[in-house]
Amino acid sequence: MSFHRITIRINGNLEQVDVPGNLTLLQMLRDKLGLTGTKNGCASGECGACTVILNGDAVNSCMVVAAECDGAEITTIEGLASSGDLDMVQKMILEEGGVQCGFCTPGILMSARALLNRNPHPTEFDIRDAISGNLCRCTGYNRIVTAISRAAEAESAAVK
Amino acid sequence: MNNAHPGLPDFVEYVKPASLEEASKFLVAHAGESRPFLGATDCIVRMRDGIWKTKYLVDVKGLDGTNQITFDPAVGLTIGAAVPMNKVAAHPAVIKHYPLLAEACHWVASYQLRSRATIVGNICNASPAGDTIGASMLLEGVLRVFGPDGYRDEPLNGFFKGPGRTNLKPGDIAVSVSFPLPPQGNSGRYIKLGRNKLGDLAIVGVTAFGYPDSSAASGYRFRIALASVAPIPLRVPKAEELLASKPIDEAVLAEAAQLAYESCTPIDDVRGSARYRKQMVRNLTRNALVDIWSKIRKDA
Amino acid sequence: MVVAQNTRTNNPVGKSVARNDVLEKVTGGATYTDDIQFGPGLLHCRVKRSPHPHALIKKIDYSKALKLPGVKGVATGDDFPDLIGLYLKDRCFFARGKVRFVGEAVVGVVATTEEIAEAAVDLIDVEYELLTPVLDPEFGASPEAPLIHPDLGNYDHPNFIFPVANSNISNHFKIRKGDIEAAWTQCAAIVEHTFRIPHVQHVPIEPHVAVAKCEDNGQVTLWASTQSPFAQRALLAKALHIPESDFRVIAPLIGGGFGCKAGVTMEAIPVAMAMKYKGQPIKFRLTREEEFYTNFVRQGLVIKIKVGCDKEGNLLALQNRMYWDGGAYTEYGVNVTRAGGYSSTGPYDIPNVATDSICVYTNHPVGGAYRGFGMAELHTGVDQAMDMLAAKIGLDPVEFHKKNCVQGGDVLATGMVIHDVGIKECIEKVAQALDWEIKDKPSAPNKLRGKGVALAWKAPAMPPNAGSSALVKMNSDGTVTVSVGGQEIGQGTFTAMAQIAAEALGVPYENVKVSGPIDTRYSPYEWQTVASRLTWSMGNAVRNAALDARKKVLDVVAEAWGEDAKDLDIKDGYVISYKTEESVSIKDIVVYGLPKPNDGGWIGGPIVGAGSFMPSYVTGLDAETGQGNRAVVHYTTGAQGVEIEVDKETGRIEVLRAACAFDVGKAINPDMVRQQMEGGFIQGLSSALFEGCQLVDGVMRNPSFVDYRIATAADVPAEIDTFIIEHAQDDGPFGARGIGEHPLVPSIAAVAAALYDATGLRITNPPFSAEKVYLALLEAGLVE
Repeated sequence: MSFHRITIRINGNLEQVDVPGNLTLLQMLRDKLGLTGTKNGCASGECGACTVILNGDAVNSCMVVAAECDGAEITTIEGLASSGDLDMVQKMILEEGGVQCGFCTPGILMSARALLNRNPHPTEFDIRDAISGNLCRCTGYNRIVTAISRAAEAESAAVK
Repeated sequence: MNNAHPGLPDFVEYVKPASLEEASKFLVAHAGESRPFLGATDCIVRMRDGIWKTKYLVDVKGLDGTNQITFDPAVGLTIGAAVPMNKVAAHPAVIKHYPLLAEACHWVASYQLRSRATIVGNICNASPAGDTIGASMLLEGVLRVFGPDGYRDEPLNGFFKGPGRTNLKPGDIAVSVSFPLPPQGNSGRYIKLGRNKLGDLAIVGVTAFGYPDSSAASGYRFRIALASVAPIPLRVPKAEELLASKPIDEAVLAEAAQLAYESCTPIDDVRGSARYRKQMVRNLTRNALVDIWSKIRKDA
Repeated sequence: MVVAQNTRTNNPVGKSVARNDVLEKVTGGATYTDDIQFGPGLLHCRVKRSPHPHALIKKIDYSKALKLPGVKGVATGDDFPDLIGLYLKDRCFFARGKVRFVGEAVVGVVATTEEIAEAAVDLIDVEYELLTPVLDPEFGASPEAPLIHPDLGNYDHPNFIFPVANSNISNHFKIRKGDIEAAWTQCAAIVEHTFRIPHVQHVPIEPHVAVAKCEDNGQVTLWASTQSPFAQRALLAKALHIPESDFRVIAPLIGGGFGCKAGVTMEAIPVAMAMKYKGQPIKFRLTREEEFYTNFVRQGLVIKIKVGCDKEGNLLALQNRMYWDGGAYTEYGVNVTRAGGYSSTGPYDIPNVATDSICVYTNHPVGGAYRGFGMAELHTGVDQAMDMLAAKIGLDPVEFHKKNCVQGGDVLATGMVIHDVGIKECIEKVAQALDWEIKDKPSAPNKLRGKGVALAWKAPAMPPNAGSSALVKMNSDGTVTVSVGGQEIGQGTFTAMAQIAAEALGVPYENVKVSGPIDTRYSPYEWQTVASRLTWSMGNAVRNAALDARKKVLDVVAEAWGEDAKDLDIKDGYVISYKTEESVSIKDIVVYGLPKPNDGGWIGGPIVGAGSFMPSYVTGLDAETGQGNRAVVHYTTGAQGVEIEVDKETGRIEVLRAACAFDVGKAINPDMVRQQMEGGFIQGLSSALFEGCQLVDGVMRNPSFVDYRIATAADVPAEIDTFIIEHAQDDGPFGARGIGEHPLVPSIAAVAAALYDATGLRITNPPFSAEKVYLALLEAGLVE
C-alpha cells in the first residue's frame, strides 16, 4: 500500500494529508481529518449523505478517490456556517422544520448551497432535481424544498 | 448474495501518470490488473461490489492538457474526456447546438454524480443502459483514443461489442469525443423511463434525432437509439430507413415505433421484464418521434 | 410556523415551539455512533455470512484467516450457545449447526482495520449441506413443510405468544367473536380476496453501527445506533450471563430507525466479539447492502379476507386469515402477528369476526418491527377489501367508511370497549380537502385520474407492562434538566418532553434541556423507543417527574414563607403567592434552598423530581377466542386520501395531492405532528409505488439503492394537507396519544383505492410500479 501526500484547502484551511490509494474522499474527511459531519450512508453514490462541495461543485465524497484531490478546495458541512453565522440554507431548514433525524441534513445542505451558488433563482423543479440525489426517509422532502426556495428568496432580497 | 465491501479493498493503488505515453505503457505493462478511470463513479461502485478486482486505478484525467469543451462553428464540438457531465450540460455551445446531449446528461443519476461522471467514461464503460451513449451515437460522435500505437479515431457506431466491451484494448486511453456540426433544422429527444422519476438506471431509454433532408424520399431523416433493451446500445436501421423513405404522418411514426419494438431484444431483470420493456420501447419511441416531428416538419 | 428563538415560551403544550435537537444537526456537530472517536486501539469486525437460505453447517475452516496479519481472532456459534429474542428466544449470536437465511452471520472476524477483517472473511471456508428451503408462508404453515426450528417447542416466550410445537408456526393468534357462519347468510354483499404484501426495508439513511468493549473486569459497554438501549442491556446481559449492572449501553443520536433499530440485531455481534477479545473497542458497521439483506425486514404478508355487509352497507362479518412471512427467526415478528391479530378488523365496527393471524418461519430475512408494526400490511388488505365492498354494495367509499368506522363505546373484536375517537372527523376532513364530490378531468388525454381514501388505526404494541421513567433536575441557573431513557430518533421526542416538563413545572420551554445521549448507566429506564408510545408513556413519566419537582419546590417555599402550598404557583420560572403576591425566582431556591427566619438554618436542598408510568389495565386475551377486557392501551385513528393520475403510456402513477388527518388526542407540538404526518405518508407512498424486496430462492436481488428505489424529492406531491383532530386521551399527558407510525399505515390502501377509481383495476399486490400498472392496463384491454 503506497501513500500519496496531498495538499488541500478545506473549509478555508490548508491541510496536508497522506492518503493510501484505496481511500475515498469521504473516508479521508471522516477518518483522517475528523470531519464527521459528512455522513456515510451507502458508499456507492446513491444516497447523497456524503455530499460536499469540491472545487465549487456538489459531489458525492464517497465517489472521489482522496489521492485525486491534491490541490483541491473542499467545503464540508463544518465549513458552511461562517464565523458563527448560520448559512441561509441552514437557517431556513430550521425554520421550516426540514430536519428530523438529521443524518441526511448535511448532504442536503451542501447540495442546496451548491445549487444556490450556481442558480440563485431556482424553480421548484430545479430544487427537487438538485436534491433528488439526497435521500431522506423522515421528512417527505417538501419542507426542505420550501426551505431552499425561501433561502434563495432571502439571499436575492439581501443582494438587492 | 451481495458481497459488497465497506470500501475499496486495500490492495487498490492509485496511479497518476505524467503523460499519455506513460499511462499507456503502464496500462499495457499491467494489463489485467489496471484500468484507466475518469470520474470514477462506475469504477468505485464496481470495485466495492467486487465485480472488478483491479489493482491499479490509473487516473487519466487531463493528460493531453486539453481538458475542456471546444466548439468551432466550422467543425463542431469536442469534449475532453475529463469534462464532467454537469459542465457539458451547462455549456452554452452544447445548449445551443447540441441540446440533445445536454438533455441526455441531465438524465444521468443525480447532480452530485454528474459533477464527476463524464460522457467519455459513460461511453467507455459501454453499459447498455448508458444514458448519454444514444445521443453520442446519433450525433455521430467520434472517440479520440491514444493507444500504444499513438492516436486513432473510433466512430461510436460500431464501437460497442457487448455489455462493458468495446473496441478499446489494454493501453488505450480515450482523450475526447468529437461531434460534427449537426444538420440544419434538427431536433432530438431523450426519453428515459426509470422506476421512479429521477436518478434511476434506465428500464428503457429512447434517444431519437431528426432533421429535414431533401435527399431523403420522405424529405426527412431520423435516427433512433435504444438503451437497456439489447446487449449494446441499439440503433434501429429499419425504422430509420422507413422514415427516410415513406411520407411521414402519425401512422408512419407509429410504424417506425413498432419496428423499434420488433428489433429490440431485452431481457427480464430486476428492473423490468422484457415484455414491459418492449412495450415501452414502442410507446416512448413513438412519443419521441411525434415530438421531434412536430418541431422539424416544414409545414408546421 | 415555528416560534422564533430567544423567546420565553410559557405553557408551551400545544404550541409549535422550535425543536431542541436540530441546531447541531445542521452544523455537522451532531454526534451519531459512527462519529465517536475511539483512537488507534479501535478494532473492526466483519462477518462471514451464509449464501444459502437453509443448510446444515458441516465444517468451518478459518485457519487461513487467522494467519492474515492484523487479524485478532474469530468467533462462531460454538462460542455463544445461548438464545436471544424479545418475544420468543429463538435466535443465536452466530448460526449454530445450520443456517436459516441468506446473510445469516456464521463467523465473526476481528482485525485492526475493516479492510483486513474483510479480506479475512474471504479466506474462511464453510462447507454446507443444503436443505430444502421454505419460501412461502402459506406452505410453511402446512404439515408438508420442512421444519426450520425443530426445537420450537422448547423456546422461551411470554404467555401471550402461542407457538405450535413441531411446526413452523411460531405464533397463532385467534379471534372468535359472534356467529360468523350465521352472519354470512344475512349479508347482501360479500367480498373475498387474497392480498399479497411484499417484504420491505426500513431504509434509515444511517446504516446500523455498533461498537462494543469488554473490560478485563468483565464490564461491557455498547455504543449503538439503537432505539432500545434498555432492551439491549436486558437481552444481551442475560444471554451472556452477566449482571445487567455490568452491561452499559450508550445510545447517541440515531439517523433514522423506523423499527429496524429496535430490539437486538447486529449489535449482538460486536458484543460477542468483545466478550471474546477483551480490552479494545470493536466496531461493526453494516454496509448499505447488508442493511438491506441481513437486517430486520418488514415481513411479507398473505392476507385472505372475506367481508360482508347488509344491503344498507352495514358491516356484518369479517373473516381474516393472515400468513406472516416471519423469516428465519421470529423473536420480534411473533408480536407483529399478535398486533395484526387483535387489530385485524381495522378501525371498523364489525359484530362477527373470525381471525387467524399466523406467524410462519420461512427461510427469508428476519422480520421485525417496522413503523406501523403490522398495521400497514393489515390495512393494505382490509381497507382495500372495504373499498371493494363499498363498490359492490353501491356506496360511495367515504360514506361507507363513515357508516362503519369505530366510535367511542363500540365493543371491538377483542371485547375491549373503545374510548372516544375522532376518526369520523378525520374522514370528513380528508374528503373535504380532496374535494371528494368533484370528479376532476385528467390533465392530458393519455392520463386517467382518480381519488382514494383509506382509514387507519394502531395501538401501541408492547407487553402489557412496558414502563417509562424520568428525572427532572433543577439547576441553580433556573434551567431544568430532564433525563429520560427514550431515544430522539428524529421524531422530536426531546422537544415534546421539554414542552411537557415546562408546562407541568411552570417554567419557559426554552429553560428545559433534555439530556442525551441515552446511557443506561445514568438515564432512567425506558422500555423501548417504539410503538408510538413515548409521547404518551414517557410523556406521563416526565409530567409526573415535573409535578414531583414542582411539589418539592412549592413545599420549600411554603415552609419558608409560612404559607400553604395550595396558595402558591410557579409561573414563568417564578414561585408566586396568590395570597401575598410575593414572588421569587426558582433559581434562588432549587439548589441552595431558602434560609429560615432569623438565621435559624435552611430549608430545602437540590431538587430532583422523579416520575414513572406503566399502564396497569391491559389484560390477557383468551388463546382460543382472543377475548379479554382490554387488549391494548388505546388506538390512534385517522384517515388519508390521495388524488392520482395514471399515465396510460407507461403505467406510472403520479400522486397529485394528498390529505392526512389523525386524532392525536392532544398535539403537544402541532408542527411536529404535521411533520410526522407528512414524512410518514411519503414513506408509505414510497412503499405503495416503488418498494419491495425481490426475494428469489431466498436471495434478495435488489439489496442496494440502485435497485431498491425509495421516493426522492422529485417523486412526492407538493400538496399534502394535514389535519389534527383532538379527542383527548384520558390517561395521556395533557390528553396526548402517539402519531409516529400511523401516517404510513393507510397509504398503500389509499393509493390502491385511487388506482381503482382511475382505472377500474384492483391491483392487490403492491408495489404499484409503473410496470405492474401498465401490464394490468394491457391485460384489461385499457391500452393496446
